[in-house]
Amino acid sequence: MILLRLISWPYARKHLLRTLLTTAGIVLGVAVFVGMHTANQSVLAAFHQTIDRIAGQTQLQISAGEPGFEESVLEKVQNVAEVRAASPVIEATVQTDRGNLLILGVDMLGDRSLRTYDLEGDASIDDPLVFLAQPDSLLVSQNLGVKLNARIPMRTMEGERTFVVRGIMKPGGLASAFGGNLAIMDIYAAQKIFGRGRRFDRIDVALQDGVSLDQGIAKLRAAVGPGFQVEPPSSRGEQFEATSRIYALASNITSVFALFIGMFIIYNTFAIAVTQRRSEIGILRALGATRGQIRTLFLTESAISGLIGTLAGVVFGIVMARAMAGYIGGLLEEVYGVAQTADSIQVEPWLIATAIVMGVVTSLIAAVIPARAAAYVDPVKALQKGRYQSLGEGENRMRRRWAMACVVAAALALVLNRYTPIFYAGYVLAVLAAVLMAPAASLWLARALRPVLAKLRPVEGTLAADSLIQGPRRTSGTVAALMLSLALVISLGGLARSSYNSIAEWMRIALNPDLFVTTAESVTARSFVFPASLGDGLRKIDGIDEVQLVRSVRVLVKNTPVMVVATDVASLGRRGRLPAVEGSTEEMYREAAAGRGLIASENFARLHGARVGEVLEIPAPEGVVKLPVVGIVRDFSDQQGSLVMARDVFVKYWHDDSVNVFRIYLKPGANGASVRQKILEAYGNQQRLFVLTNADLRNYVIRVTDQWFGLTYVQIAVAVLVAVLGIVNALTVSITDRRREIGVLRAVGGMRQQIRHTVWMEASAIGAIGLVLGFALGAVQLYYSVEIARRDLIGIDIGYAYPLSTALVLAPVILAAAFFAAIAPGESAVRGSLVEALEYE
Amino acid sequence: MIHLRGVFKQFDGKRKVTALEGVNLSIESGEMVSIIGPSGSGKSTLLNLIGGLDRPTEGEIEIDGSLLAKLDDDGLTRVRRDKIGFIFQFFNLLPTLTCLENVSLPLHLRGWPRKKIEERAKELLSLVQLGARMDHLPDELSGGERQRVAIARALSVYPPILLADEPTGNLDTSTGVEILRLIRDLHERLGATVLIVTHDLAVADSCRRTIHIRDGHVFQDVRR
Amino acid sequence: MSEGVRIGGRTRSMTVAPRIVALMAFVIPVFAQDPKQIIEEVQKRSRSNSQRYEGTLEVTGAEHHVATKRWIFERLGSFGDSKSLLRFTAPPEVKGVALLIVNHPDRASDQWMWRPSIGRDQRIALQDRSTRFFGTDFSFEDLEERDVNQYDFKLLADEGSQWKIESRPKKSSQYAYSYMWIKKDNYTITKVEAYDKKGLVRTIDYRDFEQMKGIWTARTTEVLDVRRKSKTILKFDKLEYDVPLKQDQFTVEALRRES
Repeated sequence: MILLRLISWPYARKHLLRTLLTTAGIVLGVAVFVGMHTANQSVLAAFHQTIDRIAGQTQLQISAGEPGFEESVLEKVQNVAEVRAASPVIEATVQTDRGNLLILGVDMLGDRSLRTYDLEGDASIDDPLVFLAQPDSLLVSQNLGVKLNARIPMRTMEGERTFVVRGIMKPGGLASAFGGNLAIMDIYAAQKIFGRGRRFDRIDVALQDGVSLDQGIAKLRAAVGPGFQVEPPSSRGEQFEATSRIYALASNITSVFALFIGMFIIYNTFAIAVTQRRSEIGILRALGATRGQIRTLFLTESAISGLIGTLAGVVFGIVMARAMAGYIGGLLEEVYGVAQTADSIQVEPWLIATAIVMGVVTSLIAAVIPARAAAYVDPVKALQKGRYQSLGEGENRMRRRWAMACVVAAALALVLNRYTPIFYAGYVLAVLAAVLMAPAASLWLARALRPVLAKLRPVEGTLAADSLIQGPRRTSGTVAALMLSLALVISLGGLARSSYNSIAEWMRIALNPDLFVTTAESVTARSFVFPASLGDGLRKIDGIDEVQLVRSVRVLVKNTPVMVVATDVASLGRRGRLPAVEGSTEEMYREAAAGRGLIASENFARLHGARVGEVLEIPAPEGVVKLPVVGIVRDFSDQQGSLVMARDVFVKYWHDDSVNVFRIYLKPGANGASVRQKILEAYGNQQRLFVLTNADLRNYVIRVTDQWFGLTYVQIAVAVLVAVLGIVNALTVSITDRRREIGVLRAVGGMRQQIRHTVWMEASAIGAIGLVLGFALGAVQLYYSVEIARRDLIGIDIGYAYPLSTALVLAPVILAAAFFAAIAPGESAVRGSLVEALEYE
Repeated sequence: MIHLRGVFKQFDGKRKVTALEGVNLSIESGEMVSIIGPSGSGKSTLLNLIGGLDRPTEGEIEIDGSLLAKLDDDGLTRVRRDKIGFIFQFFNLLPTLTCLENVSLPLHLRGWPRKKIEERAKELLSLVQLGARMDHLPDELSGGERQRVAIARALSVYPPILLADEPTGNLDTSTGVEILRLIRDLHERLGATVLIVTHDLAVADSCRRTIHIRDGHVFQDVRR
Repeated sequence: MSEGVRIGGRTRSMTVAPRIVALMAFVIPVFAQDPKQIIEEVQKRSRSNSQRYEGTLEVTGAEHHVATKRWIFERLGSFGDSKSLLRFTAPPEVKGVALLIVNHPDRASDQWMWRPSIGRDQRIALQDRSTRFFGTDFSFEDLEERDVNQYDFKLLADEGSQWKIESRPKKSSQYAYSYMWIKKDNYTITKVEAYDKKGLVRTIDYRDFEQMKGIWTARTTEVLDVRRKSKTILKFDKLEYDVPLKQDQFTVEALRRES
C-alpha cells in the first residue's frame, strides 16, 4: 500500500490528464450500463407502483386481450363463491388540454371495495347520486389542479363533449398514479363515450379471505372459460418489460463495447507506463522488491484507477438515468397511453455492485500483461540509460498464431451457427481474432503508409511512420481501441440503414392506401373504436374506391401480447400484397381470406418459433381460435409480432365488429384532399375521427423508427467519443514516451514546425490505420449485429447493407479528431525544455 | 563472504558477447575491495552478478553461504534485499520522493512497521550528515548530497555487503573524495564488506585490495 | 321478513328503514315473552297490500353540508315477497333515476338501478349491497325485506313500556346483529341500533307517529351513520295505503319504458 503512495501516486499526479483519459472508457462503459439500467429500473418501478395504485386491492384481473368481452361475464365472475368483490373496468386514454389523461371507467357502486379513492369521505364527491345520474361526471385527482365543477373538454366518439369534475380524489394511492393524470368515470357512461358497446376491458377481482391466488385463478378460469386471462395485476407490466428488455440488451452491448475499448486504452497506457517507469522498476528491484510486489503494484494501480473510473461512471450514469428515464417513460405510452414518469431514480445496490465489479475487473484484465511485463523488467538493463526493452518477436508470433486459431474457430462456428451458443461464441472469437491481429495488421499498414507519408513530407512523414513501426506496443492498443469503436459505429449505422431500408420497402407495399381514417392522431392508440357501420358510410363518399376495415388488438398468444390484425384479407392481398417469406404467397392470402389460416409476421415466427403449418391457439371470449399459420411475411407493424386474421373470424370469436382504422383507396383521379374534406364534413362533427394521408402515416412510422433508433445514436456518439479519447490518450502517452527522442531530434536541428508535423502525421496515420481496421471489423460486426437482431431482438431479417455513407462521414471525422487530438501533445512536444528532455529518464 | 567459481557470462544479441570468462574470486567478510578495468571489461557485469541482479551463464556464486544458482527469482531478491546494498553512479533516486522517502523505500519493501522505518531512515540520514535535508527532493540537492542519500538508502538494513558502481563517476573530484571517505568511514564503523567498481585509479588505490578485470578475466588481484 | 321498507310502510310507515328494523317481530303472545312472536305481531299490524308516498330526504354530511332530494315510492305485494320502486323527482340533475327492488322470501332481493341519462339499467350486485344508497346513510341492503325466519331473536330486556330485542341474521349480511326497541302498546318500532363485527354502524330513530288506515306510521325517520358522522332525515308526504298498482309496473322493462 505504501508503495502506491510513494510510487504510483506521484506518477499519476504527474500524468493527471493521462490518468483521467485512461479511465474514460471505463467511465463511459459504466455510465451507459448504470444509466440505462437505472433508468429502466426506475421507470419500471414507477410503472409497477402505478399498476399497484390502479389495482388497489385487486388480486386478480380477468381480461381477454384488448377487445374486451361482453358484460354477461361479470355475473359469472360475481357468482363464483371465492370472489369477495368483482368490479368491471374500462380503460381509455384521452387527450385534453392538460395532456393525456388515463380514464378509468369503473362501477362506482361496487368499486370502492377494490380501490380507495375515497368516494364518500370528506365530501370528495359532491353528490354521489348526481355523479351517477350525469354521464359527464369525472372524478379527478387533486394533483390535476382543477376545482370542483370545472369543465374539461374531450373529443369522444360522439364528437366534442365537455366533462364536469364532480369529485376530487385526495393525493396518494390511486390519485397519484401517472402523477395524477388520471380520472375516474362511471363505467357505463364510459362505454357510451368511448364507443365500446356493452363490453368491459377487464374485471378486477378481490378474493374472499383465506382463498389463495391459485385457488382463485382455478375457480375463475373454470367459470369464464379458456378465452380469458386470469392473472395478478402485476403481469400488466410484462408488455413493457419486453420492450425495456430490448433496450437493456442493446445498452448492454454498448457497455460491453465501451468497456472493451476502455480495456485497450488502459492496456495501452499501462504498457507505455511500464516502459516509461522501467528505471524506477529497476531501482525497486535492485532495492529488493520481488516480482510479486511489482506485479501487485501495477495491478493495484489499475484496480484503483478502474475503481475511480467506475465510481465516476456510476455518478455520471445516475445523472444520465434522469434524462433517459423520461425517454423510456415515453415508450410506456404504448401500454397505458399516458407517459410514465419516474418521480425518483431508483439506484439498485446490486447494479452498482455489478458495475464496480465490471469496471474493476476490466481494468485489472487490461493491466495483466503490462503488470507481467513490469514484473519481468530486467533490473540490469533497466538501470542502464537509453536502452529499451522491445516487444519480443516471439510474443508477436504467438499472437498471430492465436489470431489464426480464432479466425478458424470463428469460421467453423459460422458453419454451425444454427446453435445459439455456438453463434455467440463465434462472434466473440471473431472479435478476439481481430484484436489479436490488430498489432500485426497495424504494423503492416504502417509500413504500407510509410511511402505515402514520405511523399507528403519527406522528413516528417518518414519520422512519423518510423515511430509507428518502431513502437508497436505504443500504437497497437490505440489502434485496437479505435478499431473496436469504429466497428461498433459501422455496425450500428448499418443496422439503422438496413432497418430503414426494410421499413421503407414494407411501407411501399403494405402501407399504400391513400387515406387512413383513425380515432386518434396516432395510429396505435386504441382507446376509441368505430362502429363497423361507418365503413358503409365511407364507401358512399364520392371518390372512394375501396375501404378496408381493420381492427387491430393486442391479444395473448403463446403468453405474449401479440398484435392481431383482423381485416379483409382478400382485399389486403389485392392491394398491399406482401410476398411470403415462407409459404406460397398466393395460397397464403387465399387461405387466410377464407378464414382457414393466419398470416404471421416474420418477427412473430422468429420470436415464438412458429412455422408454416403450425396451428396456433388464440384464446377468445367465444372459445379458442385454432388456426394454422399459412404464411409468413416481413411486417413491421408490431415489435412483439403480428398475426393477420380474417375479419369474420375475429367478429365471430370476439363478438366485436368495431374498427380501429379504415384504410381507404381512392378512385383513379380522385383528389385526396377533397375526399379527406368530404369525410371530415360528413363525420367530423359527430364522431371522433381523424383522416391521415399516406404521407402522414409514413411520417409517423419514420418518427417511431427514429425514436427507436434514438438510443442507437447515443451509442454511436459514445463509441465515437471513446475512439477520440483513445487517440488523445495514445498520443499523449506516445509524446511523453518519446520526449527524449524528440529532444534529440531538436538537438540535431529539427525545427519546431517539423516536430509538430511529425506528431500530426503520426496521429493521422493512427487514425487512418484505425479506420481501415475498423471498417473491416465493422463489416464482420455488422453481420453479427444483423444476425442478433434477427435471432434475439426484433426477429426480422433486415438484410445486410454496409453503411457506406456512415463510413464516408466517419473517415474525415476520425482523421479530424486525430488531428485535433494531436495538437496539445504536439505543443507539449515542442514546448518542453530541450535540456530536460535530453536528461529525461 | 563472496565466492565466485568459474563464472561465465554471455549476452545473447545479434552477436554473442562474452562479458566474463571463468572468473574465480573470493572476498572475505569485512574486506573493502575495488574492481578496476577499462570500459567493457566486464566489471559492471561482475558486480551485477554478485548483487543478484543477473545470473551467470555458467559457474557458481555464493553469497554469505547462499548458492545463488539454487535460488528462484524471489530467493535471489531476498538475498539482495537482506544482504546487499547498492550504490549507483547515477544515484537512481526517485525524483518524486523526498530524501526520507527514498531512504525508507527498501524498508517498506521489507514490510517494516511505519514507525520503525521512520526511525531508521532518520538515523541513516544523520549517519550521512543529511539530517537537516530529510524533506528535500533529490532535485534540490547537489550531486554529492544525492549520492549520500543513495548511500543511506543502500545501508537501510545494514546489509553485510555494499556494492558501489562508479559511486564517484558522476561527481567532481572533491565531492568524490568526500563520498569515498564516507564509504570508507561506514565500512570501518559498520564492518560491511564493500565492493567498489571504478575506473578511477585514485579510488581504487584507496582500497586494501584491488581486482583488475580485463576481457572478462581477473587479470590482477592486488592486496596492499 | 319484512324489510325496512315494508315495515316502514306499515308499522311505522318508514319506508326506507333498515332491514334490521324489519326483524322486529309480531304478536306478543299472552306471555309476551317470545321475541319472534312480538316481531310477527309488529309485521301483522303494519300489513298493507300496497303503498305509495312522496319522500323528502335530507342528508347532512360531516361538514354540515345538506343535500335535499325527493322521490316517489311505490310498493306492491305481501311482506318478504313484495316489489318496490323508488323514483327520484328532484333535484333536476337526478330526476328519473330509479331503483327497483324485487324481494324473495327465500333469498336476497334483486335490485336494479335505472339511469335515464345513459338509458340503461344496472343490476346492483350482491357484493355491493353494503354500500351506501346514493350518498344517503342507508345501504342498499337496508332497503330489502327479509322474512322473519331468516333471523334469530332474543328478548333482552323489558323496559316498562318497551321491549328490547336482539336479532341476528342467519344468512350473510353486512350486520352481525341489531337491537330494537318496540312499544308494548301499539307494537311500533321506535329505535334500532345495527352492529357489525367492529361495533355500532347505524342508529335509526322513528318519530312523529300517526295512525293511517289503522296503521301506526312514523312520518320521520332519522338515520345516523355513526362512523361517518353523517345523518339522513327522511320525511313522508302523501302517504297512501292500498293504492291500485300493477305488477308489470315493477319490472326492468317498465323502468326502460317509463323514461
